[in-house]
Amino acid sequence: MNDARLRTLVEIQTLHGLLPELDYYRALLLDRGCDADAVGEAFRRESRRLHPDRVSALRDEAAAAQANDIFRLVNEAHRVLKDPEQRARYDQLLAQGALRMTDEATASAQADKRAGDPESAATNPKSEKYWKLALTDYKNKSWKACVMNIQFALTFEPGNELFKEYLEKATKERDEAEKTKEQNPYKLRIM
Amino acid sequence: MGIAVGIDLGTSNSVVATVLDGQAVVLADAEGRSVHPSVVAFGYGHSVVVGHRARQQLAYAPENTVFSAKRLIGRRFQSEEVQRLRKHVSWGIAEGPRGDARVRVQGRLYSVQEISAHVLAHMKAIAEAATGQAVDGAVITVPAYFNDAQRQATRDAATIAGLDCLRIINEPTAAALAYGYGQSRRQHLAVYDLGGGTFDISVLRLEGDLFEVVSTAGDTFLGGDDFDAVICDHLIEIFRKQTGADIRENPAARAKVLDAAERAKRALSQVNAVAVKVPGLVRGDDGNALGLNTPLDQGTVQRLVMPLMQRTFAVVDEALAQAGMAVSQIDHVLLVGGMTRFPLVREAVGHYFGKTPIDHLNPDQVVAQGAAIQAWSLTQFAPSSGAPDAVLLDVTPQTLGIRTIGGFVEPLIPRNTTIPTEASKVFHTAHDHQTEVRVVVCQGEGRNIADNELLGEFVLSGLRPAPRGEVKVTISFAIDADGIVRVVARDEETGHAVDLLIEASSNLSRAEVEQMRFDDVGF
Repeated sequence: MNDARLRTLVEIQTLHGLLPELDYYRALLLDRGCDADAVGEAFRRESRRLHPDRVSALRDEAAAAQANDIFRLVNEAHRVLKDPEQRARYDQLLAQGALRMTDEATASAQADKRAGDPESAATNPKSEKYWKLALTDYKNKSWKACVMNIQFALTFEPGNELFKEYLEKATKERDEAEKTKEQNPYKLRIM
Repeated sequence: MGIAVGIDLGTSNSVVATVLDGQAVVLADAEGRSVHPSVVAFGYGHSVVVGHRARQQLAYAPENTVFSAKRLIGRRFQSEEVQRLRKHVSWGIAEGPRGDARVRVQGRLYSVQEISAHVLAHMKAIAEAATGQAVDGAVITVPAYFNDAQRQATRDAATIAGLDCLRIINEPTAAALAYGYGQSRRQHLAVYDLGGGTFDISVLRLEGDLFEVVSTAGDTFLGGDDFDAVICDHLIEIFRKQTGADIRENPAARAKVLDAAERAKRALSQVNAVAVKVPGLVRGDDGNALGLNTPLDQGTVQRLVMPLMQRTFAVVDEALAQAGMAVSQIDHVLLVGGMTRFPLVREAVGHYFGKTPIDHLNPDQVVAQGAAIQAWSLTQFAPSSGAPDAVLLDVTPQTLGIRTIGGFVEPLIPRNTTIPTEASKVFHTAHDHQTEVRVVVCQGEGRNIADNELLGEFVLSGLRPAPRGEVKVTISFAIDADGIVRVVARDEETGHAVDLLIEASSNLSRAEVEQMRFDDVGF
């Protein structure tokens, strides 16, 4: 094995060990304040250096797997940082201590957005249908129907926090309404 | 040590190339031919011939001579494409044990992988004869819009042929590699690839040795065959007007006219007008044979195929939109595929892009050359070799996702994402006391699972029984540079995980592929 091969293997191994500590800027060797052009340039520079194909000729499976891991992060960093909107969101997450824009992190960011806009809270077409109905019921104070529709919506999207929040409120309102209904003298007379 | 080659495994023809002294060269056979028909002919006693000799057999033993098998690869017998192809080929197509389409010749069933393996083994033999060296590995090209099952089936074919498949790459990307190799100009390139059966468009950003696919789109139901079909329908209509005879439902007569349409199309790429003559199509009321005899000019053909050209442009629009680019931002247009030899196609593409397409490359050879360059890059460790290297950043052609409740698809990796990549999403249980989740992985752009290709499925069990929504499962997708997809489902509470390597998406098991392997194919 010649020096260049050994050097590449060591480089890959070292970088792979560092992966859990890298944020997107460090993955691309960028300053946090860099401009958009620098992001593209850095991505292309790192692609030339770290793309798994560069390692494949070494015929070393462990190194190839590590190179794939490394490049997945490089790729993710580029995807987020090249988009100004995503980059701004990422910078916020980064300030809060997150290194990557994971599903969890994005989900909580989306949840914040949804909290301001209940109309767009549903994420699949079936739950959306029932959620819309539930919101109309909510507006009309048809609590019983509202509870039912939220429950339907939850069948399709059981993890939706906003649904659960509304369900709690609507259930409370329904129970309140039931109570007042029970005291309704006319109802008693009919029976 | 042997050589690494690039193989363009085409629907109609195949080409093999390798890098010699820093140049991608196409390897010819002993007769000096560099393009070889992807035809496999079966003779008596299991003898098999491939290529030019096989095509000669097509004339006298069509039922034993398999062509266009690539159209079947990775497809189900019941699929529309397979049912359509059955009407057009002389050999048999039957349903395999897992619902896959298989080739039936002389009463025996062959997997499509075996047929393609014969073609690949033939290309390997040609390369070994031409260079006097053993072939160690190959990069094989497929249409960009091939799904995972079709790619995996192509890998199987290589294994059966005794070839180490270094990589499956996309045909338009390979063409771009051959075009841009050794250039240093920074540019955006559009590769317009119109072949016999499929259409692909890829937009790339080239900068020195870096080839970055920005977006790709395609239509696997649009190609030269459709052009032949519209010309054929036009001729049948003329025949009906001339004689009153309707041959639309007469397969034998239709086949003759289709053949004439194909030849007329070819001739019209050289001359402005041809006379189409097809004698003895049907018998008229008086018992005399009726034949077709009509002039056909370029203008008429142009008018006939324009709707098809428009369809390709709609796909180009889509690719540009995905890339976030305007037509004017494309610096160069590269034409690939047999259909782009036709002047009317070249002209229409030129008009669409507002620039003359690059024409100094051989459209038949450029894909194999690009594959050879990739094979070279993958087997030569850059710092130890003098020749320039190339790094290819390719994308996922179709969205990868999983089935969610109600038969909908939750996309995890959108199409045109640069690979290698990964994505994960947290899902919640949908029912009370649910103890297992079935993860169904699919590929495609449909919102409903039924509109997508199923890649595989697996079950994660042993979840804690709890009210619905309480238990979390993380589904992660990872794609390596070689395009192989790995899916993992993990129970967040116990850490228990199940994974699926999507290689079973072809219809053959590992064991079956090993069993089919040709015993040391010599030459």
